This record gives sequence, C-alpha cells and structure tokens, in this order.
Amino acid sequence: MPAIRNQIRELRALREMTQQELADRVGVTRQTVIAIEQDKYSPSLETAFKVAIVLGVPLEQCFQYDPRGKR
Amino acid sequence: MATNLSYREKTLYASLAAELFVYGPYFFVHRQNSVNKVAGMIIAIIVLQTILQSLIAVLTRNRITDERDRLIELRGYRAGYLTIASLMVVGLGLLWFHATVGHHQMENRMIGLHFLSVFFGMLVIADITKTATQLVAYRKAL
Repeated sequence: MPAIRNQIRELRALREMTQQELADRVGVTRQTVIAIEQDKYSPSLETAFKVAIVLGVPLEQCFQYDPRGKR
Repeated sequence: MATNLSYREKTLYASLAAELFVYGPYFFVHRQNSVNKVAGMIIAIIVLQTILQSLIAVLTRNRITDERDRLIELRGYRAGYLTIASLMVVGLGLLWFHATVGHHQMENRMIGLHFLSVFFGMLVIADITKTATQLVAYRKAL
C-alpha cells in the first residue's frame, strides 16, 4: 500500500473531467495525472494544492497519507 | 493505450534509437579503432538527433514538461554519472596495468587510439544508461 493515496480519479469522474483537462488546468502532462491516479507518483505540494483547487475540494479530501504505507 | 507516450518519452526513445544505430556498428561490428570513425560518428549522431528531435517536435502538439519529467531527468543523470565514474575507475586501472605490469606491447599511436576507443565507449555506455534509466523510470513508480 503506498504511503500517499488519492481520490483524484473518483473526484474527476464526478465532475466529468478528462485526464487531459485536469492536466491542462494543473499544468502537468496527462501522463503525470495517470501516474498520480495509479499511485505511481507522489506530486509536489504545489501540484497537490493545484489539483485540489481545480477539483474544488480540500487537500485532505484529494490526498491521504498513510504512515504505515511504503514510500 | 491509456498511457501513450509523452513528448519527453518520444524524444528519449528517438535518442536511444539514434545512439544504438550510430554507435552499435562501431563497437560491435567494425571492432577497429579509428579517429576518423569517432569523428564521423559524432557528426552522424548530431545530424540524426537534430532530424529526429525536429520531427518529434513538429508532430507532437503538446510539448509541455513538468516536475515528474524533471525528476526522471535527474535520476537519469545520476545513473549516467555513477556509470561513467565506475567505468573511469576501471579505465584508469587498465591504464595503470598497461603502464606497470602489462606485457602487451603496443606502439604509442595504437595506445592513443586504444584509449580513445575505451574512453569514448565509456561516454557512450553512460549516455545509453542515462537514457535507458529515464525510460524505465517513466514506466515504474517513483
């Protein structure tokens, strides 16, 4: 289980937003959005905040930290 | 494919292909040391890379790079540096061996060409390691 998990895929689906749209609004590539959704990449704090702002939710609703998870 | 290639990945695959296409025959087919061949390869790789990178830039609409690209780039450079540093130690060890206990006699000109080939090979291996590490990093979790 990864240390940092996220609900981006679900939140994005609720807003009917594509990966490309989210990527464009956050300023990253679509491949980075895919990697974040698959828990293969933990974004920087700045990008994490941008994702939360674009999705219109608090940061902790987007990302969760599990101290027992592996980095 | 859900994770089709980003602009950076395409440029990396093109670099790797160009490097293998240009350097492969020199190290695995010709097996001859030659200053002219090394100079020819350097020109060939510059021309080939320019053509390939220009083509990719023209054919790719979204050329954005982000923090993940930069992190992967750094990982590649670290792997490349570790490779070249390790190979340099081996190369210097070989040089010391030739100079002190080696019994294999070579003319001065041949020694120069020999080490040109060895050190050029180290650069090529380090560069291919850097590119390959970056390509693997794009597919693995960071």
